[in-house]
This record gives sequence, structure tokens and C-alpha cells, in this order.
Amino acid sequence: MAVETLTAPPATGRSASAHGSRKPRSREALTAWLFILPSLIGFLVFTAGPVLAAGVISLLDWNLFSPPTWAGLRNFARLGPDPTFWSALGNTAYFTFLSVPLTLLVSLVLALLLNQGLRRVAVFRSLLLLPYATITVAVAFVWIWLYIPHDGLVNAVLGLIGIDGPAWLISDFWAMPALIAMSVWKSFGFGMVVFLAGLQAIPQQLYEAARVDGSSAWQRFRNVTLPMLSPAMFFVVVTSIIGSFQVFDQALIMTNGGPGSRTTTLVMYIYRTGFENYDQGYAAAQSLVLFGFIVVITAAQFLLQRRLVHYDN
Amino acid sequence: MQSQLSRRSLLKLTGLAGLGAAAAGCSSGPPDGTATWSMWSSSPAERKVWDAFGAYVERELGVRSAAMLTPSGGYPTKLDLQLVSGTAGLVTAINGTLIPTYAARGAHQPLDDLIAADPDFDLTDFYQPIRKISSFNGKTYAIGFDVAPTVLYYNKTLLAKQGIPEPSPTEPMPWATFRELAKELTRPPDQYGFTCAPAIDDLVSWIYCAGGNVMNDDATRSILAEPEALEAVQFVVDLFVKDKVTPPIANLVTENSLANFLEGNVAFMQNGPWQVVNVRKAKFDWDVVPFPAGAVGSTPRVSGSGFAIPSGVRGKDLELAWKLLKTLTSTGALDIYAKAGRNNPARLSAGSAFKPPPDNLGIVQQILAGKLAGGHPFDVTSNWNQVKQLLGQDLPRTFLGQVPVRDAIDGLTPRLDVLMQQHQDNVRQATARKG
Repeated sequence: MAVETLTAPPATGRSASAHGSRKPRSREALTAWLFILPSLIGFLVFTAGPVLAAGVISLLDWNLFSPPTWAGLRNFARLGPDPTFWSALGNTAYFTFLSVPLTLLVSLVLALLLNQGLRRVAVFRSLLLLPYATITVAVAFVWIWLYIPHDGLVNAVLGLIGIDGPAWLISDFWAMPALIAMSVWKSFGFGMVVFLAGLQAIPQQLYEAARVDGSSAWQRFRNVTLPMLSPAMFFVVVTSIIGSFQVFDQALIMTNGGPGSRTTTLVMYIYRTGFENYDQGYAAAQSLVLFGFIVVITAAQFLLQRRLVHYDN
Repeated sequence: MQSQLSRRSLLKLTGLAGLGAAAAGCSSGPPDGTATWSMWSSSPAERKVWDAFGAYVERELGVRSAAMLTPSGGYPTKLDLQLVSGTAGLVTAINGTLIPTYAARGAHQPLDDLIAADPDFDLTDFYQPIRKISSFNGKTYAIGFDVAPTVLYYNKTLLAKQGIPEPSPTEPMPWATFRELAKELTRPPDQYGFTCAPAIDDLVSWIYCAGGNVMNDDATRSILAEPEALEAVQFVVDLFVKDKVTPPIANLVTENSLANFLEGNVAFMQNGPWQVVNVRKAKFDWDVVPFPAGAVGSTPRVSGSGFAIPSGVRGKDLELAWKLLKTLTSTGALDIYAKAGRNNPARLSAGSAFKPPPDNLGIVQQILAGKLAGGHPFDVTSNWNQVKQLLGQDLPRTFLGQVPVRDAIDGLTPRLDVLMQQHQDNVRQATARKG
């Protein structure tokens, strides 16, 4: 009955204020809008506005100084025969499809370990979150040192087990995996915290019931933990894929896109096109295409979510 | 008596403070009549020089000087934003390699009319190479403040330890001699004969000395695949890959010939006299000699930087901008610059202020004056960033031994030709705009 009072309009057609309910509801709505407003303004100014502006700029030839001229869809047509664009897209996809599953795996394993009721778990949690909290530039410089072919720690450790490590950041084959390894180390902390929160929200009765039914640890993990954790996993996958498609800073600092163009990512190429080559229209077209890729992939994930993600309620 | 602030009053005050802050944030910078100039600055030592420049400007012009300093790495991007938003200085510093880029886009204005109308200004006091570097499409777009040829630094202590006589301070050694010397001085992994950056900026000196270039004279096509340039690139790559006289490349981003040389275990480094200020910190004895001579002699690249005036500066501001530009490039200002050891000044009349050490520093002025060896102004296009990016993609792989020189250059040439055509379009557009 109370719900009806709040949601249904008055049947008599008399004003709500006659019932004494309009003022509090307006005030609630106003309060809600006030809370939403900063976010909304931020979204309009810093997200929707630039996307719309990019849409307009993508239809122009503009070097920032000379007056822009109309290009129509020519900037989009340039994408097809541009080998650097496709190689950058391929590199970004390679980065994403390796780094996201690896980050997910490492985050999950660490979250499971931390959820075992270890002593001083808060200390471990904080330590493991440190890479995520550290700025990428600093992390990238440290990893450059770790990857030095002859004196670097990574090859020194490999040397202990008889492996002659490669020149990571200048190798055609290893440069991208080296970037991925660094990125996984940098970002697993975020997933770990989300998974840990998800694990702690799983009702213990489900495990007890499974135990009573005689299920093994693996069966409990597969049939209880994974389904109950799937909303958290969905969240981490969506945000990680979006983040990976925008990878830029670590590649710029550690390899500058090389050797050759093996680690040139799409955002790096967009940055160079717009701000080093002063081709604003083409850079805007590239960024809209990237935006389109991310939207399509995220939409596909949301469609799959209905089948793969289990919501308790 | 203490009065209590009501919640309403607090909100009002906060709102007013916010508006005040916003208004302050939206203010357009220094007041009218201030001599504003944009410049890069990446160290306290550089800042000190620009502070001295500021004081000099205030003394000479009797107006307030405001230097807008940005670290060198982000300077071009910041300058773009300043120019587009109309917040750049009345005068802006530009690296010579970017002067055609800015000029072709209409970001800076030609200075020829101002120069012609000013009997006090003597362009002939500037070294010829910097005048070429500062021009685009037949017009002068900047006035230089530094200019210098690439020279060869050598570690005197290391050579003495090996019992090798010092190279001639006046006669450039032939490439073959240099190569043999570099081999003789190499004792991996503790000692190497030579270091340079695996990038086009360092390669061009060898290419020029061999009689080649990245592009032909009218910049309509690439000539990197012609025998002279090919021979030069192969020679340097061989120093890395075949002779292994260079420290091994660990990564392509932080590879730094200066850091290698300062370690004290590298005999020779190619670099400009702009590094003199840093090499003076070395814990060993060192000096400079002319760049090794190839088929056409010792004609390494000559680089320089200048001050320019943004296109949007007009009227009274333009008057002040020209006075400011003249002051910043005057003998007095360049004396400050040279005395601080930053680089060789662009004016002949300020050249003597750039003092040793090293003992042979005088060769820099002699090379620029054409009395010793030679130099080749760094030839660039109006889309040099793109050319550099393209060359930066595949050329370093030859230094790593991943791709043969011939294959890399053959792969690059058609794409370089496309960029040369783009450059020609830029020139045509700039010419049409001028008309």
C-alpha cells in the first residue's frame, strides 16, 4: 500500500499537495538532482561534449592554425588504406586479449588466497594494491630497469635457472609480452579488491549446503564461488577491456611504439596524428572508430551477461 | 564580540569565493605591455639563464618580462595549445627542426618586413646556417639564438691509458681511421670505442658527410636509397652490429649516448656543443675535434634554435614583440647564454662568449665561419615530425641487426616519398595563403 502511495498518481486527479505529499517528493527530487548535478555536468563537459566535438572535427581538415576545411567522410575513408592504423589496432587487440585474461586470473588467485582468513590480511591487501596505486610513469621506468638485457633483474633471475633471457624491449617477439607483463602487475590490484569484496559477499550457507551434499573443494569453487562471483567478474572484465583498448602511457614510455611498430597502440597513434602531425580531423576519426569498437565490444559483453552472469536475486 | 556565521552566509561567502577564483582563473595572464615569451626549460641551470634573460629584457626595454617556461619534452604540445588559445608569448622559442612546420601551418609570421623596416637590426651578424634553418619558403620566420655543428667528443684519459695519440684538433680523421680507432679502443663489456643515438638525428651527419641526404634539394622525393646515404647508414650500422664498437642497446627509448660517454668507458661520442655544459661534469679529461670526414669531407649537421612571433600578434603588441625579439637575440642576451655554457650563440659578435673547456671549443666558431672543416644545415620538411616518426620506426631495427639496411630503406622510401608530396602540398598552401 505504501508503495502505491509513492508511485501511483492520485486517482481522483486532485493535486498531490492536497494530500500533503508533493512538497517532500519535490524536495527529494531536488536533492537527488543536486547530488547528480556535479556528475552530470562533468559528463556533459568532459565526456559528451568532447565526443560530439570529435564527431564534428572528424568531418574537417584542420591543422589547428589554418581555418578548418570541410572533409566530409574523407578522414574515415583514409583509415582503410592506412597500414599503421590497422597495425596499431592489431597491437591493441593483442594487448587486450592477453592482458585482460591474465589480469583476471592473477586478481582472482590472489583474492582467493587473501580470502582464506590469513593473519595480517590487511597488510597483504595494501601491499598488493600498491602497484595499482602507483602512477604508470614511475612503474614504467622501474620496469625498463628490470628488463635491461644484461644486468636487469628479470634476466638475472632467468639466468639462475639457466635461461638466457632476451633483450625484452627491443625484441620483435618479446616487446609486447614484456609490456603485457608489466601491465598485469600494475593493474591486478584493482581486480583483486573487487573480487575480494565479491567473495566476502557470498553467503556461507551456500558452501555449508554444498559440503553437506558432499561436494569437493573444486566443485564448491566451480558451482558456488564462480557463479556467485560472476557479477564482480563481469564488472572487472568490462572495465579492464575498456582500459586495455586505451593503453598508451606504458607503451610510450617503455618502447615508444617500437621496435618497428610492434608496440604502437591505437591511442598512441591517435595522439601522434593529432598532436605531433597536426592532423586533427584524422585523429578525431580514429578516436571515433576506437569509441565505436569499445561500444560494440561492451554491448556484446552486456548481451552475453544475460547468459553468463548469475545474479543472486 | 564574536559573531556567528550562519549556514546561509557561509554558503554565500563560499559562492563568492568560488566566483572570484573562477574569475582569476579566466583572467588573460600578465597585464598589457608585458614582454611575454615562451621558452623550454628542463633544469634549474636553464631556468637561471632564462631568469638572467628576463632581467636583461627588463633593463633594456623598461617593461616587465614574463617568461612562460615549459619542460622541453612537452614544449611543442604546450606551445600549440598556447598558440591556438591566444595565450602564447609575444615571442616564442622554436627548435630549428620545427620552424618550417609552424611556418607552413601559419602559426608564426614572416619577419622580413620588420627586418627591412628596422635599420638597427643587422641580420648579417648571424651565422649563415642559422639564417637558412630559420627560413621557410623564401621568408625568414625566426631569428636564431643558438647554432652549432655536430662535433666528435673524445675521452682524453681513455686514449692516454691505451697509449693512443690524440686526434688532430683541426684535421678531421677519415672514416676508415675512425673505425679502426674505435675497434682498437673496444674491450667489451667494459670499454667501447663509440656511442651515438640509433636515430636519424645522429645518422644525418654521416649521411651529409657521404654526400647524401634524406631528401633531394627541392624536397620532392627521398634520396635515402641512393648510394651515398646508403653507404653512410651501413657504415654506422656496421659500427653497432658488425664491429660491435658501441655499448649494446638496452632499449630504444632511454638509449642515451651522453650517459654512455659520461660513464667514462667510451672513447668517442658524436654530439653537439649544446652538451658541453653537461660533459663538463665528467670525471675524466676530454675534448672535441671535428666530425670524421666522409667522401665529401667533414660536413655534419648544423642545428639551431630561434625566436619567432606568433601570427596573431598585431598592432602595438607587434611593435613590442619585435623589440623583445631583438633584445632576446641581441649580442648582450646571447653573451649571457654563451657565458652560461648553454650552447654556441647564433651571432658572430657573441661567439667569443662561449668559452672553454674543452680546449678545442674554438673549432665550433671556426666551422661555422667556414674556416675549418664544414657543416650542413639540418634539412627538414614542413612535416618533419612525420618523417622522423617514420624513420624512427624501422631505422633503429637496423642498429639492432633485426633488418638489413637495404631492406629497411627500401621499405621506407615509398612512404617517405608520400610525405615529401605532403610537404609540397603544405608549401603550396602556405604560398597561396601568403598571396
